[in-house]
Amino acid sequence: MLLGIDVGGTHTDAVAVDLNREPGKRVAATAKVRTDHADLLGSVVGALEEILHQVDPAEIRRLNLSTTLSTNAIVENRTEEVGVLVSSGPGIDPTNYMLCKQFHTLGGSVDHRGTEVRRVPPAEIDAAYAACREDGIRVFAVVGKFSTRNPVHENTIQAGICKRDQPGPCRDADFVTLGHEMGGRLNFPRRIATAYFNAAVWRLYNQFADAAQASLERLGLGHVRVHALKADGGTIPLEASRTRPVQSIFSGPAASVMGIIALSEIAHDSVILDIGGTTTDIAIFASGSPLLEPDGIDIGSHPTLVRALKVRSIGIGGDSAVRVLGDEVRVGPNRLGPCLAAGGCHPTLTDALNWAGLSSFGDLEQSRKGLAAYAEEHTIPPDLLAKKAVDYAAEAIHAACRELVEDINSKPVYTIHELLEGVRIVPRKLYLMGGPAEALKTPLFERFRLATEVPENYAVANAVGAALTRVTTGIELFADTDKGMLFIPELGVRENVPTRYSLEDAKRDAMNHLLGHLKDLGLARDGSRAEITHASSFNMVEGSRTVGRTIRVTCQLAPGVHRLAGD
Amino acid sequence: MLKAANRLGVILFPAYDWSISPTHPEREERLLYTSDQLHEEGLFDVEGVREYKPDVATSEDIERVHFCFPDVESVTTHSHLVSAGGAMKAARLVMDKEADRAFALVRPPGHHAMKVVHGSRGFCNVNIEAVMVEMLREQYGVRRIAIVDTDCHHGDGTQDVFWHDPDVLFISLHQDGRTLFPGTGFPQECGGPGALGRTLNIPLPPNTSDEGYLTVIEKVVLPILADFQPELVVNSAGQDNHYTDPITNMNVSAQGYARLNEMLKPDIAVLEGGYAIQGALPYVNLGICLAMAGMDYGSVREPNYDPDAIRQDARVTDYIERLCGELPKIYFDPPKRPLDGVFSGEWYTRHKDIYYDTDGIMETQEESLHLCGNCRGLLKVVTSSSNNPLCLGVDIPLNACPACHDLGLKLAEEAQIKSEYRYVQLINRKDRQYTRYGF
Repeated sequence: MLLGIDVGGTHTDAVAVDLNREPGKRVAATAKVRTDHADLLGSVVGALEEILHQVDPAEIRRLNLSTTLSTNAIVENRTEEVGVLVSSGPGIDPTNYMLCKQFHTLGGSVDHRGTEVRRVPPAEIDAAYAACREDGIRVFAVVGKFSTRNPVHENTIQAGICKRDQPGPCRDADFVTLGHEMGGRLNFPRRIATAYFNAAVWRLYNQFADAAQASLERLGLGHVRVHALKADGGTIPLEASRTRPVQSIFSGPAASVMGIIALSEIAHDSVILDIGGTTTDIAIFASGSPLLEPDGIDIGSHPTLVRALKVRSIGIGGDSAVRVLGDEVRVGPNRLGPCLAAGGCHPTLTDALNWAGLSSFGDLEQSRKGLAAYAEEHTIPPDLLAKKAVDYAAEAIHAACRELVEDINSKPVYTIHELLEGVRIVPRKLYLMGGPAEALKTPLFERFRLATEVPENYAVANAVGAALTRVTTGIELFADTDKGMLFIPELGVRENVPTRYSLEDAKRDAMNHLLGHLKDLGLARDGSRAEITHASSFNMVEGSRTVGRTIRVTCQLAPGVHRLAGD
Repeated sequence: MLKAANRLGVILFPAYDWSISPTHPEREERLLYTSDQLHEEGLFDVEGVREYKPDVATSEDIERVHFCFPDVESVTTHSHLVSAGGAMKAARLVMDKEADRAFALVRPPGHHAMKVVHGSRGFCNVNIEAVMVEMLREQYGVRRIAIVDTDCHHGDGTQDVFWHDPDVLFISLHQDGRTLFPGTGFPQECGGPGALGRTLNIPLPPNTSDEGYLTVIEKVVLPILADFQPELVVNSAGQDNHYTDPITNMNVSAQGYARLNEMLKPDIAVLEGGYAIQGALPYVNLGICLAMAGMDYGSVREPNYDPDAIRQDARVTDYIERLCGELPKIYFDPPKRPLDGVFSGEWYTRHKDIYYDTDGIMETQEESLHLCGNCRGLLKVVTSSSNNPLCLGVDIPLNACPACHDLGLKLAEEAQIKSEYRYVQLINRKDRQYTRYGF
């Protein structure tokens, strides 16, 4: 049996799913408790206890947990002070990316091929470290430009911080995040931000993980494998996430999106709308797979390398205020909920849907009375007000979806083949979930003119998504046969390669390293989902002689779920 | 959070699947390190800087400019249509006010492609700036445009396309033609009879460094631009003046390129040549992007940058000072007659022999301009090459007077009837009619 827990802003949802049961009866237990932001672990335990009343703990194999712990800590500024040490070389001045007080730019540079141009002066490392110690700093982020080509500077600085001449635990710092461990992609500012946030939430996350594991022991769930949900619609084993806590950030929207995959058979290009109280989250599927942000998610106003599903939020939801402005009726973007039907004092989209007969939510009497009064106040017939409000909401959602699809289709490509033959996304189907989903089905259908489906069980889709989501991971291999070197930043693998090393060799090696990594995580069975998503090889020519090849291979486990619908 | 002072659109299209030949300078690898550098810098995350896909030029976009023999499809590949489309996209971003400035970082280049195209010269098949300019005129009604070509090689193709066009000011700064391909670009070449002074060639001696280029920009280019008052300034941003370039002899650095761009303030920049793909392009392109975006480029330096090692000597400085005294006269007080050619009745005719180094084609050409006195004049080109027998091109300009318009149509029709030419192409800008006969 698989458990999923999604700690949301208002509620903590939990489900237990039994894939051995016949379709339609696989959700074995559900639970919903209020989220206590001061005690997230208490909320998790509360939801778990409710589940354990319904199922046998011994049957539970796995628990996937989506929490807002790291997200909230960052939003609420409760993170730990970090010492950030960067070596940068020529280019945009890295002090532009200063995220914290102890931010030190050191000399030294590595170029785009990973050639060390200048060493990092040891005296500068010592001085920066001394300043951090002075401030009582115990966690560090160390980032070099082009460190995903050659991590020499990050390793040197780490050695300087740890004052160690041999491998082993670091004596003088509790945790050091190295930029290249955050992913192989090229983007120095994102690498800085990602490493910074990783270090900043490290202690908090590990304390939570310790406490969570202790609670599971206590509940008789010590045998359960625990995974943390990530924003990319996948999971990471809890143990592995302890050194990559930043990966657990913003996993909430991903849980819902993965839920809808579990509940429906999505095969075509599709639009998924999760219509909540305040916002509508839009996600796009290409041939049945969710699309990822090309670079990574923004944390605060800082772009990072944290992979995430491409989800766009707009300020239209059930609690969005309905307003009359001149001849126009607007909905959102601000929330003035709850709706009249739930005892509020301003008409919202939900009240408009009630009036239009599309839903019958809450106290219909109050809902109708309040809306009529507001309509009269603005000298507009209530029928027209409700109709215009619903139309406005449907139109705004439609426009945002069109813009998002356009955005995805205009993503830059670098080969003539992709430019001329590239696949364009053309949505064929619309999936709706969330409170007002059923009520907005017809208005949205009229705008989109696409087959529109509201899956059953959508109320717990987020927890179902959490339960059924599978592990995701990815690596990038970079090889330079002129230098005779290959490097896989995420895994810290650096090996010599012969001059005849080819693209095929690189693909094979990348795959083997990914599978080896999965095996180390105890996830060998997931290896069958591994795929190569990018492979390129360029001849490097000097004069008119080919001196070697630069080879880049990316392979990954894409987001996926154990399917609930059908067989 | 970094923010650009000017919204900058960058069309980065490295064409990773196209080369002239595997070890040719114009190969897949050319913009790889530039792309790596720009991505590692996080340039496209800067607020106001955005990356765009190129458009793809159509045959009509090409036929608006060039006489392609036998036809567009035979002398271009998809790569040429995409790099021309990249320049067009840059122009559209600026005209549609999606960006304040735009940089088309595309390949292959185009500034050696002339009015008539039989094949590839200097790695160029179609003139991507010219395709962009004529699109701007047809779709946006732009008239006066200045093109400043800072590629190390003389922009002989762009010069040829706009030779008779008084509304395009073409200024080329390049290594002296006595020392480098294509061997042209002397100050005496200053435009056709109706556009004298609207072509300005500034040949610079080998070993000119940042200082010399910036002096010329300040003392020659900027005052002329201030007088010409173009609606748009385009920079043909070749990068082979770099001190590490393998096929030229100049000493410009990334700092120099960025400063040049900052002074010139082009609305649109289009990459041309530049083949020091590891040591120069990543830094020069970053410098240009930052300068165009109005951002600080002070820390953009090549790994082996040493200003003392590349400083120009005093004789170069003296020579350039003298050039700066003489050259503005060509624009402000142009000669009364073009360098070559013959006036005969209502026609001005010049003869050209053109060598296509990349494809090894020889072309012989007779170009005639109808001197009507009322418009820019009807252009007629009779050409043959080692690839094609005798062909005719007739170009009726956008603002043609009725006489030139009718004459153009008549010439094209007569050529068809007499079958004197294997192929005939008519560019009728007035009626937006681009026709080919003999196919």
